[in-house]
Amino acid sequence: MNVITNNNIKSTIAMAALHNVIDPEIGLNVADLGLIYKIAFDEAGRKISTTMTLTTQFCPMGESIVDGVTQAMQQTFPEDEIHVDLTFDPPWNYDLISEEGRKFLNR
Amino acid sequence: MLGASLSTDPVKTTSYKVVLPFYAYASIAFFAATLLLVFSAPAFGRHYFHPHVIAITHTMALGWGTMVILGASHQLVPVLIEGKLYSNILAYISFALAAVGIPMLVYAFYTFNMNWVARRGGELVIGAVAVYLINMGISMAKSKTQNVHAVFVFTAGLWLLITTIIGLLLVYNFSIPLFSEDSLHYLSLHAHMGMIGWFLLLIIGVGSRLIPMFLISKYTNAKLLWWIYILINLGLIVFAFMFLYAPPVYCYLLPVAAVAAALLLFGYYCRQAYRKRLRKQVDEQLKISVLSVVMMALPVVLLIIMIIGLWVAGENTRLVLAYGFTVFFGWITAIILGMTFKTLPFIIWNKVYHKKAGLGKTPNPKNLFSNRVFTGMAVVYLTGFILFVTGILLSAVVVLQIAALLLLLAAGLYNFNVLKIILHKPAML
Repeated sequence: MNVITNNNIKSTIAMAALHNVIDPEIGLNVADLGLIYKIAFDEAGRKISTTMTLTTQFCPMGESIVDGVTQAMQQTFPEDEIHVDLTFDPPWNYDLISEEGRKFLNR
Repeated sequence: MLGASLSTDPVKTTSYKVVLPFYAYASIAFFAATLLLVFSAPAFGRHYFHPHVIAITHTMALGWGTMVILGASHQLVPVLIEGKLYSNILAYISFALAAVGIPMLVYAFYTFNMNWVARRGGELVIGAVAVYLINMGISMAKSKTQNVHAVFVFTAGLWLLITTIIGLLLVYNFSIPLFSEDSLHYLSLHAHMGMIGWFLLLIIGVGSRLIPMFLISKYTNAKLLWWIYILINLGLIVFAFMFLYAPPVYCYLLPVAAVAAALLLFGYYCRQAYRKRLRKQVDEQLKISVLSVVMMALPVVLLIIMIIGLWVAGENTRLVLAYGFTVFFGWITAIILGMTFKTLPFIIWNKVYHKKAGLGKTPNPKNLFSNRVFTGMAVVYLTGFILFVTGILLSAVVVLQIAALLLLLAAGLYNFNVLKIILHKPAML
């Protein structure tokens, strides 16, 4: 799934940073896992809103993954206010895993 | 298009503080059970209704199996029902009641004194189970998602409550004649309600969700799981009626066939999940858990031999002992040995690293315990298990003693790794 964004350049930088946030159980990063749905940049208000999901609602590792995304975004864009929103609509499914992610799991 | 239901709150799951006491208690109980096994190995060359055998069985069934499953289910049921655990306080109360009641019961069995210690111990265990069921029931009722896995877990809890109530009545029956027969007569009813109703239903209910999840498998088949649920419960209810109305021995093969069919279907379910997995590499912890699914077959085979033997030549106490041992030290222990290291490292990792995630490279949860010690534990455990079953079947005390020492060593290695995980200090790579 392609990430919905209003700034392709900044979104690419953000996704690169999110490659360092790993789902500890699966061992795959949140970007390739397809957990990131949308990154919206509010240039005037200097706010970045990330909309993401989890592989399952009430995932025991969910809090860590959301914290990881928040902290990675804050580290990459230190001047901006970071918001991370969770949604389960649409719910995550295996088809959201990227080609790179599939190669990693197939090792 | 994204849905409107956004939340800025991180998903709050069950606190590690609720789960850890159950895991720690279970680890100590496993060590205590194997220690008792070393001191009581010769008892396994005699009749199964021996005080030491009953004490060890209850240490394994309640202190080890039930405590670790109660702890894990407080963490996993919210995942199954996609809702929150209703109350942490009820979970603490359930732990406290069981933690006090179990050693009282075990001590009373070991010394074979069915006085107030046994009675109060049994009452506390029933209290623990009732509180657990209330907590699970309200959590499930509040959840919007009702699914087959949750029904398995709740029904298993009900069977555990019935098992513990019957157990307490059997304790009273030693001194106050409540039943027409002595307590030994009802032992198989009590034992099978616990083994099939509690352990088997719960393990299949949770395992059928976790195994595909850990394998990252697309496979789901709720219809098949409902069939498994019906077969197990039907088998158990038919067995209970047969027990009360005492038909010819061969009739018992009917409920055994129902449970065996359920196991075959579950084996098929696991195989399909394995075949449709995205993750090709399967770790050692999951392998030993899958091995335990295969190990379920061993007690079923022994049970069929036992029933045929009982029909033809009368009861064979060695087979009864071997059967019970393969359930508690085989199937149930194998699944816990594997699943502990698929759940506990993640609980501790979450506690230690959730504020550090995304800021740099953190250790993998799998690195929180020693894989070499885990492999050593698995080898020593399997050798000890096979030797002990051989020792029971041959009534060979020396073999039993060597096997008991190996199982004690396996329990020691398990405790080492559990302690290593629990005491893990933060380290950035």
